[in-house]
Amino acid sequence: MMIIIRRLAGHLARGFVMILVVATISFFIINNIPGDPMAARYEKLIEGGMAPEAAAQAVKVLYGFQPTGTLWQQYSDFMGGLLHFDLGVSVSRPGTPVLDVLTEAAKWTVLPVLVGTLLSFLVGVVLGVYAAIKRTGKLGDALAISGSLLHGIPQYVLALLLVVIFATLIPILPADGPVDILFDPGFNAGYIGSLVEHAVLPVVTYALSAYGGWVLAMKSSVVTVLGDDFILAAELRGMKRSIVFRYIARNAILPLFTILALSLGLLLGGAVFIEKIFNYPGLGLLLIDSVNDRDYALMGGAFLLITASIIVANIVADLFYTVIDPRVRSGEDAT
Amino acid sequence: MSDTLIPETGMSTSATMRRNFWLGVWRVMKRKPSRMAGVVIIVGFAFMGVFGPMFFPDHLPDNPNAITQPPSWAHWFGTDPQGRDVVALVITGSRYVLLSAAVTALITVVFGTSLGLFSGFKRGRWDTVLMRITDMKLTIPGLPLLLVLATVWKFGSPIQMGLVLGLLGWGGVARAVRAQTLSLRERGFIEAARGLGLSTKHIISKELLPSMAPYIAMNMLIAVTGAVYAQVGLFFLGVLPYESDNWGVMLNLAVFQAGAMITTNALGYLLAPLLAILLLTLGIVLVVDAMDEIFNPRLREE
Repeated sequence: MMIIIRRLAGHLARGFVMILVVATISFFIINNIPGDPMAARYEKLIEGGMAPEAAAQAVKVLYGFQPTGTLWQQYSDFMGGLLHFDLGVSVSRPGTPVLDVLTEAAKWTVLPVLVGTLLSFLVGVVLGVYAAIKRTGKLGDALAISGSLLHGIPQYVLALLLVVIFATLIPILPADGPVDILFDPGFNAGYIGSLVEHAVLPVVTYALSAYGGWVLAMKSSVVTVLGDDFILAAELRGMKRSIVFRYIARNAILPLFTILALSLGLLLGGAVFIEKIFNYPGLGLLLIDSVNDRDYALMGGAFLLITASIIVANIVADLFYTVIDPRVRSGEDAT
Repeated sequence: MSDTLIPETGMSTSATMRRNFWLGVWRVMKRKPSRMAGVVIIVGFAFMGVFGPMFFPDHLPDNPNAITQPPSWAHWFGTDPQGRDVVALVITGSRYVLLSAAVTALITVVFGTSLGLFSGFKRGRWDTVLMRITDMKLTIPGLPLLLVLATVWKFGSPIQMGLVLGLLGWGGVARAVRAQTLSLRERGFIEAARGLGLSTKHIISKELLPSMAPYIAMNMLIAVTGAVYAQVGLFFLGVLPYESDNWGVMLNLAVFQAGAMITTNALGYLLAPLLAILLLTLGIVLVVDAMDEIFNPRLREE
């Protein structure tokens, strides 16, 4: 137990440093933009007849720190705001705090990506076992090649091909936004049905692009376990194939759970291309739009949120491994 | 090694070893013709990047009479909204893509390998510090970071693009090389070399590096593909100015301006760069598959 607590403390400390680093990157990018939009806004407000004090305050609300003052003052202002989850105010959506924009967008990202990930995990793991056991045969070859290819093809290529096939050439599925605007939002059959219909292509894209990774990971994991002595021993003792199979699968799937936890962390930032192509208003599209609109507070906030989710997932994955693998628990260094 | 029976000078022993290695490579390649195809594809792309643009003028001429045409005999993949031939665009655009990928590969491998070697061989405090930094770097999501960087960086030249991608991407190779070094340094032949009193320089350059070469090459190929996808993706997302013609710009214009998702006329314009990327991926996957087997005896078929 002590070991777990010590590891957790270490992870939290490191996660904190990471957040600091990323926040600092955001700060310096906001601070060093060519053209200095902050100073420009400040000047404009003063020209508009605002007192320097009030103008500085207004800019601070927008960007999280005052346009005047030393770099250190600006930095501590910005960081102090972060501690209160004050990420500033979005410029492209006037008056909306960044945090609200982010939570609204996260909704559209989490569900499709989660479904896609779990779907590909299930299919990939099962087929990965086959690919390993039949690795000298035609089926294993086909599975491994299909896995490598799907793993290798970039998400946007896959998404574009699916759109071309299922939305342009054979128009059976929609690929324009998350829902048909004809329906009233709410709990009615039309709206829900439209939601599901619009989610099919994005989810399938996500599942296909993640599937290859699972097949390959499971295959190599099973191949490693197959070479272990205890499998040979079990076979020599004349155990039934199905029981040996269970031994193999149980040992081989362990490292995959860690990868699953890690990939859940990529959930928030992993769908940038898919959201752009399917016009899905999630975090990825938000990040792109904020970059294009030069809405720096929103951009910094989205980037921070995406990184934070990865850090949390890293910690969860490691703790999970600590609990599940006795070798790590007893204090041996597994890294 | 089979050549221990023949007592010869050091030079020719290593020459024999090298020949044996290439024989092994040849055998692995020969077993599956698909692997040969992979090598051919990659060499073909390299030629296209180096010599392809020479056959076309610097600025492809616009043709107002042939705007967004569907594929035909004159234009195999049709024309773009300015009447330029899509195949010519793919070929001229390949130089930016492949050149920056090459720069990325160089930086990734040099940086990653030296860091990983140093870390794994020295161990101790430096190892801990370097690996902590590497882990942190690996934690920051690459694509979102690139998007954020796109606000301050214009990525005008392929060298610049390759530089940034390389500096962002060495983490994986460093980790892999370190793990490999850690496992190799405990092997008999390294211990024997150390027992013989050979210098660290000799051990690293003559014993460690050669046995890791295929592994490093494999990681390099993976880095190259990553770089190609990242930069084509960045241009596709439209966060960078269209200063040069390349596949990503083509994809962006095809989808968001020529309306390839709505009209079938522009389909060729969209599909041509996609096919180029797919073909490149296929080539790399096949070569990595071959390297995997050369490197990992456990996967070798008995």
